[in-house]
Amino acid sequence: MTMNPAISAATAPLLTVRQLEKVYRTKAGDDVRALVDINIDLVDGEFVSVLGPSGCGKTTLLKILGGIVSHSAGELLFEGKPIAMAQRVMGVVFQSPVLLPWRTILDNVLLPIEVLGLDRGSYTAKARDLLDLVGLTGFDNKFPGELSGGMQQRASIVRALVHDPGILLMDEPFGALDALTRERMNVELQKIWLANQKTVFFITHSVSEAVFLSDRVLVMSARPGRIIEELRIDFPRPRSLDLMSSAEFGGITRHLRSCLGSHEGASE
Amino acid sequence: MSRQRIFSRNIVPFVASILLGLAAWHFGVIYFEVPGYVLPKPAAVWTALVDGLGRDPFSRASFLYHLGDTLKATVAGFVIGGLVGLVVAALMAESRLIEAAVLPYVVGLQSLPKVAIAPLLVIWFGYGSESKIAMSFVLTLFPVLINALSGFRSLPRDRLELMMSLRSSRWQIFRKVKLPGALPMIFAGLNIGIVYAMLGTIVSEFSGGQRGIGVIMMQMQAVSDTAGVFAALVVLGVTGYVLISSMRLLNRKLVFWMEEDEREDGI
Repeated sequence: MTMNPAISAATAPLLTVRQLEKVYRTKAGDDVRALVDINIDLVDGEFVSVLGPSGCGKTTLLKILGGIVSHSAGELLFEGKPIAMAQRVMGVVFQSPVLLPWRTILDNVLLPIEVLGLDRGSYTAKARDLLDLVGLTGFDNKFPGELSGGMQQRASIVRALVHDPGILLMDEPFGALDALTRERMNVELQKIWLANQKTVFFITHSVSEAVFLSDRVLVMSARPGRIIEELRIDFPRPRSLDLMSSAEFGGITRHLRSCLGSHEGASE
Repeated sequence: MSRQRIFSRNIVPFVASILLGLAAWHFGVIYFEVPGYVLPKPAAVWTALVDGLGRDPFSRASFLYHLGDTLKATVAGFVIGGLVGLVVAALMAESRLIEAAVLPYVVGLQSLPKVAIAPLLVIWFGYGSESKIAMSFVLTLFPVLINALSGFRSLPRDRLELMMSLRSSRWQIFRKVKLPGALPMIFAGLNIGIVYAMLGTIVSEFSGGQRGIGVIMMQMQAVSDTAGVFAALVVLGVTGYVLISSMRLLNRKLVFWMEEDEREDGI
């Protein structure tokens, strides 16, 4: 599988990953290579998905981008600068909502504002607007325990957006939801994305989800993870769920599945 | 089922069993001709109780006078022991070095029956309130420290990663996530601690002293005033119940996000 030509250099990339590697040392003293030779350019406003079998390192890659895990080799640049210095850069949505149960939804959503030392007053209106956008109007003063899983996950998306990060990192955010809710959330996410035009780095197991949401889909191999395929998705937006039944959509997902299938452990 | 019904479901058998118990006690003592200094009649206990509570609260003969002293030492030792336990546990949770230095002492002293050091404390602090507070401090410290440490250590990985993704400082992580998350375990320790604090105070009073419920119990025992001893025990029992209930109330207020059956049991 050859790499498609890089995005046109008309726009300088927002995020550059160059020859990134991650090596773990196990308790037995062996070196496990989780990620090898990862090269990615994310352009401002792009929606990029990463598909890969379990254990291929895609979550590790996201954690490296999010500043949770360090990388062993290679470069990571945001707007040309090394990432550690740009604090406001990322918003992260994890596989589970991770809302703090002792805080109201509004307080949960404003957590990044507190941590970053920004003025709470100026961001409260924005937080409320975002909650409206995701359909959680009126839930400001409720507690996470009162919300369903899907609603909590929507709140965590708001939390990831509230501080206006440059990039939104999402790690299989809808994996824990049932299929119907998941489809609805895909449509929701598209709506949110169209309203914000954030750059999104989205990890998923679901081929159709990746194709539905993205401008570009990257496929990773099994461990040690490397990017083995990159595909542009040119369907116009807003995309409807009906698109998923079209022949063209089917062709793309078939192609991606075969990329995944030729390396072990593919799902869906 | 409504709260009223649950309450009346519980209260009727409860009251009935108390009345039955009192009746058995009263008639048992008469029938078996038990001497008053071994097991007094319920009526005698009641008399001693009313007498002791009814005295001028500032006189030496009053239960309330002595109770005040016991309570002061209990609460003082509990608060100091609780705070020290929390702070040390927090430091141990943040620093491997501190943990390595302190943990051996904690583990080592844990199995020592700490009430055994009561005479030692009297030597160091004398017969006054200080040795009582010291005893209740020591007995509160261990359960609070151990449970709080467990609570701080059990910070879920995903919460930590959330805070890391926001590039939080250690202090922010502690205040916003570690401490609130540890509250259930901290309260488990405090609930145990308050009981031990009172225990410690009483034991210390047994070893000697001028004032306190434990002290007058010793005095009454010395003159075979068993009814008085029973009356003092009733006072202690009620006091203990009030203290524990207060802790439980505080627990429910502060750890409001957990359901009743989710609250953790302590170590």
